[in-house]
Amino acid sequence: MSLPVVALEGAAVGYGGRALLANVDLEVGPGDFLAMVGPNGGGKTTLIRAMLGALPLLAGRVVRPRPVRVGYVPQREHVDPIWPFTAGEVVLMGRTPSLGPLRRPGRGDRAAARHALDRVGVGHLARAILGELSGGQRQRTLIARALVGDPELLVLDEPTNGMDPAAELATMDLIRDLHAGGQLAVVMVSHRLEAVANYARRLAFVDKDEGLFRVGSLEAMLTAEALGALYGRAVAVHEVGGRRVVVPVNGEVKR
Amino acid sequence: MSGLEEFLSAREIWQVPLAASALSGALLGALGIYVVLRRTVFVSAALTQLSTAGLVAALLVEERIHIESEHASEQLAVSIAVSVAGALLLGAFRPKRIPAEATVGATWVVASALVVLGSSRLVHAAHDLGGLVFGNAVAIPGSDLAAIAVVAAVCAIVHGLFGKELAFTSFDAETAQALGMRVQLWNAALFLTIGLAIPPAARALGALPVFAFLTLPAVGALALRARFRTSFALAAALGVVAAAGGYVLSWLLELPTGATMVVLAAVLAAPGALRGVRG
Repeated sequence: MSLPVVALEGAAVGYGGRALLANVDLEVGPGDFLAMVGPNGGGKTTLIRAMLGALPLLAGRVVRPRPVRVGYVPQREHVDPIWPFTAGEVVLMGRTPSLGPLRRPGRGDRAAARHALDRVGVGHLARAILGELSGGQRQRTLIARALVGDPELLVLDEPTNGMDPAAELATMDLIRDLHAGGQLAVVMVSHRLEAVANYARRLAFVDKDEGLFRVGSLEAMLTAEALGALYGRAVAVHEVGGRRVVVPVNGEVKR
Repeated sequence: MSGLEEFLSAREIWQVPLAASALSGALLGALGIYVVLRRTVFVSAALTQLSTAGLVAALLVEERIHIESEHASEQLAVSIAVSVAGALLLGAFRPKRIPAEATVGATWVVASALVVLGSSRLVHAAHDLGGLVFGNAVAIPGSDLAAIAVVAAVCAIVHGLFGKELAFTSFDAETAQALGMRVQLWNAALFLTIGLAIPPAARALGALPVFAFLTLPAVGALALRARFRTSFALAAALGVVAAAGGYVLSWLLELPTGATMVVLAAVLAAPGALRGVRG
């Protein structure tokens, strides 16, 4: 079995010394596609920040058997559209950590940025101002920035938040294509189970208010019991047109 | 002799103040791009007021211990220390449990009160208060111009060498941190340059023009839809024209210098702002 890209062992995460989630064990391997699902404010973003080392753990440890190249896509709303950067300049920012201080991006970096934009289908928008792009185009630009460093681990925080169904599907299809067939590990946060139920290989349910952290295969997690624990009410999973949909139903919650 | 001829013949009087005004306008105009884009306009107002409070405190101490001659460099040192400390606290390290604007507002109002209280106790330097607060760049010594030039050089070096880090961490701190960058360090570097730039400019021009130059040229440049790199040059140019033009106009029309600079900066920013309103 290959070494994990990143793992949390007995982790407690939170702020100001107060744990939001405790005893979290989580392993992400090469080629994995893990979706973290749960309500807004449920602790998902806190968990990935801890996993990336951006937030110190209150207990436990982060395990990275070797240095890993990381790509990160923040929530689109966290990126202020008033900054007059072109899409190409935004993507080039993804090379900043590997360049280090004092070195300017060179021809190779600019070529990598163009390639990343092409890969997500917005190569023609390299000179467009980010704030003037549509929500979907902006999201693709942020994904391109995450790809420009040739990551082994791609972390996306609510990449489809606020999108209409067509844009959501297009974005999820793009993430699936980026993941397909390679060793790229994808960790994605979403508060919409349906957005990820047709793409992820594994699901983690996260809800700090219920002290819930549960992780397993898609098949094991898309059951009435597991979903009841997440939503606190009875739900059913159906297949419609070859896609899984999750709907609330009447009846007692199975926990 | 016409007003313009009179102005041109008095070159020895205005050349240093004009150069100091233009350099301050360029420096503050360029830094204002970060101030405006990071939505920290009132941080610069609070820092300007803190800088003035530091200056008043230094003047008070000088009067209390009966120092007859003026110690400009010590006054500037105190002002810079207060401004830089404020910049690091307000800009780089924000308390989590209190909204940022509340901290900034509290700092501004307390610093303003300290300026009023401190200057009420000043005896000899009290007549300078109007100039300190509202701007009076008529007579600026060469030492002040030198201080502005040194600070401008430091800022240019920091921004020239670390521009991509400052831009990335300011634009998207969350991603920069997730990718292992030391966001607090780069924020501190940015606000250090802003904290350094304000005191010598405020001492030369006054608090009001400094606040204006940290805001209006950047607003004008950004509203013209200049790209990020271009916006620095454009804001610096607008700052130079507003500062130097305001100085000359105030001389010719016998108007208060600081206020004239501010109004001219607003006039220069107006076309861009109006274009922005129209979309």
